[in-house]
Amino acid sequence: MENALLVGLSRQMALSHELDIVANNIANLNTTGYKADNTLFAQYLMPDARDDDFAGKDRRISFVTDRASWINFAPGAIQRTGNPLDVAIDGNAYLAVQTPRGVRYTRNGALVTNASGQLVTSEGYPVMGDNGPITFQNTDHNVIISQSGIITVQEGNSIGDSQRGRLQLVSFDQQARLEKDGGSTFLAPPGVNPGPPALGVRVVQGAIEKSNVNPVGEMTRMLQITQSYTDIANVLQQQSDQRKNALNQLSQTPASGSA
Amino acid sequence: MRALDTAATGMAAMDLQVQVIAGNIANMTTTGFKSQRAEFQDLLYEHVQRIGAQASDQGNILPVGIELGSGVKTVGTPRLMTQGSLAQTGNPLDVAIQGTGWFKILMPDGTFSYTRDGSFQMDSQGRVVTAEGNLVQPTITVPQGSTGLTVNQQGQVSVTPTGSTTSSILGQFTLTTFINDAGLQANGSNLFTATPASGTPQDGTPGTNGAGTLLQGSLEQSNVEAVTEISNLIAAQRAYEMNSKVVTAADQMLQTTSQLAR
Repeated sequence: MENALLVGLSRQMALSHELDIVANNIANLNTTGYKADNTLFAQYLMPDARDDDFAGKDRRISFVTDRASWINFAPGAIQRTGNPLDVAIDGNAYLAVQTPRGVRYTRNGALVTNASGQLVTSEGYPVMGDNGPITFQNTDHNVIISQSGIITVQEGNSIGDSQRGRLQLVSFDQQARLEKDGGSTFLAPPGVNPGPPALGVRVVQGAIEKSNVNPVGEMTRMLQITQSYTDIANVLQQQSDQRKNALNQLSQTPASGSA
Repeated sequence: MRALDTAATGMAAMDLQVQVIAGNIANMTTTGFKSQRAEFQDLLYEHVQRIGAQASDQGNILPVGIELGSGVKTVGTPRLMTQGSLAQTGNPLDVAIQGTGWFKILMPDGTFSYTRDGSFQMDSQGRVVTAEGNLVQPTITVPQGSTGLTVNQQGQVSVTPTGSTTSSILGQFTLTTFINDAGLQANGSNLFTATPASGTPQDGTPGTNGAGTLLQGSLEQSNVEAVTEISNLIAAQRAYEMNSKVVTAADQMLQTTSQLAR
């Protein structure tokens, strides 16, 4: 009798988690380089009763568990900004960023320079080049970032280009295992190793990648969540009413042999 | 319910986005104005079920986990340092910059500010000043009664003095360049100051060292693109609305739950 209540509750808890994830996606509708989260639910089957002596077979009960959230790594739209230090990555690769917590990976290419001329993220963490952080000189101008991430500048009055390094672009063999670490960065857990960028990856200068959240999809999901939540609440209510009725009716049956 | 707080961060971020857009639209016709863009990042994640955790005694590893994000934050409002279109005014002291570089302005407190607004005037002593009366560096003084003021592409200023038929060079406009224009700090009145993020100012002659050239009799319009701003405004407003819908949804779910206990 209590099973319906518990099954319903398991679904409600899963739905509440899902709404949290949808809320986060919608909050990040305009976050550069943001990748949407999705949920994955699974059936959890109660183990059978062990006793084989029952005449009828014990019915298995299935609960809902939120199995996982997975990240949608689909590319976001590329928006032109015209800033020479904004880069968008076209293709499946990441920029490596040196944070105090270790190396993190990001697709947020809204870069700036810091006091010592180093190329850093909006949070001030150095962006890694193939040979460590990329540093500009005071007289550098006309920054050009090539499709393969090579950064060239014109220094002082010289007409020729001088190279300042090359953006370290990495791809992952098991991209799905990347964890979000806040600040639009991803963390590679042990066993997930960064490798050279995939074929066809190119850097687009003067543009940024927008969030890949699909607002229509998220709104639909949200409506479904609230609807299911209410439906289940109704089921629970009916269960409760049913039990109340049963108790009422049973109590009215005259007990045999009492007279 | 976490969704409530998450949606609140989203609403705050979109509120800021609308503020930035409002600033841009208000300055659509401000000479030398550079439009701003709000830059957002996602907040910390709670790992309800960590990726790579042991799933069973047999050493199975969870390929995916449960990550619950907690919303969005604003990291900055960088400016778009693209060239604004040039409008002809015919005023000899209106000077527009084509390309990179900034005019250097001496502030009353002795510090330097930088501007792209080249709508200059002359003060009582014939010195070239901004519309607010601050001196353009290096100081150029136009002698009284002289005619035919010209500014060439390299910034040389020449006039024909009274009683003369040939023009003579009076002075030179310089342009200051920065490694990261977006790192300049805006102080209002079209003026910017250097910050650690912008790099050290590099003074130079227009047309050299990567600096742009000058165009007399024109002004650089604001680089705000009306269509982009309006479409961003619509997007921000809708995003705000969607976040508020999340609040409603979370509220509805809480209400459903509380109604269960009758």
